[in-house]
Amino acid sequence: MASHMLKDAALFLPEIALTVTILAAIVADLIFRRVRAVVPGIVLAGLIATGFLVLGQQGSSVAIFSSMIAVDAFAVYFKLVILLAAVVVVVFSFGSAELQTGGRKLGEYYALLAAAVLGMMLMAGANNLLMMYLALELSSISSYLLSGYTREAADSSEASLKYVIYGALSSGLMLYGISILYGLTGSLDLATINHIVPVVISAGGPPLYGLLIAGILTLAGFGYKISAVPFHFWAPDVYEGAPITITAFLAVASKAGGFAMLIRFLKVTFFDATGVMAAAGTWEAVRGLRWVDLVAILSVLSMTVGNLTAIWQNNLKRLLAYSSIAHAGYMLMGVAVLNDEGIAAVMLYFVIYLFMNLGAFYAVMLIADKTGSEDIDDYKGLGSRAPFLAVALAIFLISLSGLPPTAGFIGKLYLFAALINKGWIWLAIVGALNSVIALYYYVRVIRNMFLRTDEQQSAPLSLSGMQMTMVLALLVPTLLFGLYFGPLVQLAQASVRIFGAP
Amino acid sequence: MEIPLSYYLLLGAILFAIGVVGTLTRRNAIVIFMCIELMLNSVNLSLIAFSAFLGEITGMVTVFFVMAVAAAEAAVGLAIVIALYRNKPTVNVDEINILKW
Amino acid sequence: MTAESLAFFFLAAFAVSTAILMVLQRNPVMSAICMIGTFFSLAGLYLLLHAQLLAVLQVVIYTGAIMVLVLFVIMLLNLGDEARLRERYDLAMGVGTVLAAGFVVELFFILFYSGDPALRASMDPRAAALGTVEGMGGALFGRFVLPFEMTSVLLLVAVVGAVVLAKRKG
Repeated sequence: MASHMLKDAALFLPEIALTVTILAAIVADLIFRRVRAVVPGIVLAGLIATGFLVLGQQGSSVAIFSSMIAVDAFAVYFKLVILLAAVVVVVFSFGSAELQTGGRKLGEYYALLAAAVLGMMLMAGANNLLMMYLALELSSISSYLLSGYTREAADSSEASLKYVIYGALSSGLMLYGISILYGLTGSLDLATINHIVPVVISAGGPPLYGLLIAGILTLAGFGYKISAVPFHFWAPDVYEGAPITITAFLAVASKAGGFAMLIRFLKVTFFDATGVMAAAGTWEAVRGLRWVDLVAILSVLSMTVGNLTAIWQNNLKRLLAYSSIAHAGYMLMGVAVLNDEGIAAVMLYFVIYLFMNLGAFYAVMLIADKTGSEDIDDYKGLGSRAPFLAVALAIFLISLSGLPPTAGFIGKLYLFAALINKGWIWLAIVGALNSVIALYYYVRVIRNMFLRTDEQQSAPLSLSGMQMTMVLALLVPTLLFGLYFGPLVQLAQASVRIFGAP
Repeated sequence: MEIPLSYYLLLGAILFAIGVVGTLTRRNAIVIFMCIELMLNSVNLSLIAFSAFLGEITGMVTVFFVMAVAAAEAAVGLAIVIALYRNKPTVNVDEINILKW
Repeated sequence: MTAESLAFFFLAAFAVSTAILMVLQRNPVMSAICMIGTFFSLAGLYLLLHAQLLAVLQVVIYTGAIMVLVLFVIMLLNLGDEARLRERYDLAMGVGTVLAAGFVVELFFILFYSGDPALRASMDPRAAALGTVEGMGGALFGRFVLPFEMTSVLLLVAVVGAVVLAKRKG
């Protein structure tokens, strides 16, 4: 038993390294109270070291600790996305004026950030519903605390309260779903549930409806984490109220963890191994309604509600929140396809989404730090005051809307290709229409920056070399992946193997 | 007579429904937290009942973890309520609406 | 009526009535006290299901730790009688109540009009050994060692975070 655990622990090294980082950050914060750079330095080093340890896991496909966690190409890919986003956010945070107001100590902030990353990495690998629940709670609890971290600002603690209420409610619903699944199948292990689900389905009758309720309640938990409509009510308030670094982190890393968990859950639990439903890929929930159809409904709702509400927003942070809800909808289109092509398209989209979304949030943060406003009307004349930043923000927004020659176009292209190859034509049409709506509100921001002049003739904004480098580091991939995307596509296609899924 | 599984499940469902109604209708943030705890408790009851009737321990172990998470969530939630109360002396979720649609 | 079924119906009735009172009470302190009643009757039900350790933990954690914390915060914020809130009974309440009632009715039908073998009439004979400290400990440090260890991180994060948010000045 003990030697078995040691062998498993060797495959768990990245998570162990990250746990050590959390502890080191908490202790270092107590010792080096006055030196600002120590804790972020430790966390940054820990995240990078964890990244290298994750890279070392490439090629393995096993489940460790009694099948609690799977270590496979799919998990490795998502862990790298989460770690990359976390590294970028740590660098953002170090330069953020918002976080430093009032001489606030930030030691615990970085420790909590690392804990949230640990939760999300566990989400990417969780292969058991209990582990999924715990990983989700670890990342959620850290996120509640982080979004309320600037607690003197009323909107920050309000956002945090809304987040914790919605979060606890949806995790309660999810738990009820998990308990019914357990009652029907006698196990929480995804692969075991997959073996017993066909028995429940073929028996038919009332337990089938039990399964339907359980599935929908469990999806509510995932839907909350990826902020899909109708489980999105927390997202706009939290995104607007939280410190912008945390908003960026939640919009990218948290979503990545949620999507990894959702895909694994659908792919392993509801995959039809007998091939009866080969065309669908998943079982029918009830006659005529497949599990993937439910995902498609969520996708359409998220895209449409996200985009239509974004049009009316005047705060750019809030606009980006609705845009991120819409992006969850786009990526759910790929999940609805659920074959290798669809999942690879989602994974590709995530890397692109990471660069363009973090870039947009960083530009908004830099502008807010200088002008003190996130209002779109205050972006008038920015094209002449800060040409570099304005052009960069414009490119990020164009990429988010999915126009060529940016990376966002390539991401959408692969998503739509997967949809059309699988015959989801109506969903592809809804997605395309939504992209057109999205174009409207992104262009509104760009028009304000370049075509409207500022009446007050404010002074130009200057950027430090460090900030310039950071913008470039996000801008170059956003443009580069729009033209040279071959290797990235190959990487995504090579990483779709999920442990336990056929 | 011995109590069958369905009685426990039904009791769990009733308590869960009461918890949901409370969460949706009450306006005091602290009472909302209590209603969420009630929901988690009803889940615990069904998990233990399933576990005992299946003769398999996973359900009971899950309850152990749910309790730990509930304690953590309560501590964090109440800390947030206190932080909020310092800015604005209210716990009424209707008054917490700087952030609207 | 055996002693077991008598105990079940008594505890179930107590749990449901205290839960309803908890939702209806306007004073948060009274709500909290009703809630404690629910927790105690649930602990009794856990004993009927042979989950001894969880019954003890239910009392120790929920009543001993969580509800004391809740009461402490209510009194700290001085939410006594004067802080009673004007509760709103609106659309949300109507919709929520209808949905919840529908949910219970649906489950009722599923449970009582099904010949499902998974919904057994009597407890598994192995159940008696599951909920003891020995049974739970064996599982927690065997199959469930990873979740167990991860819970320690979760609790640490909650403690650190709660202190950071609740303390007066950074």
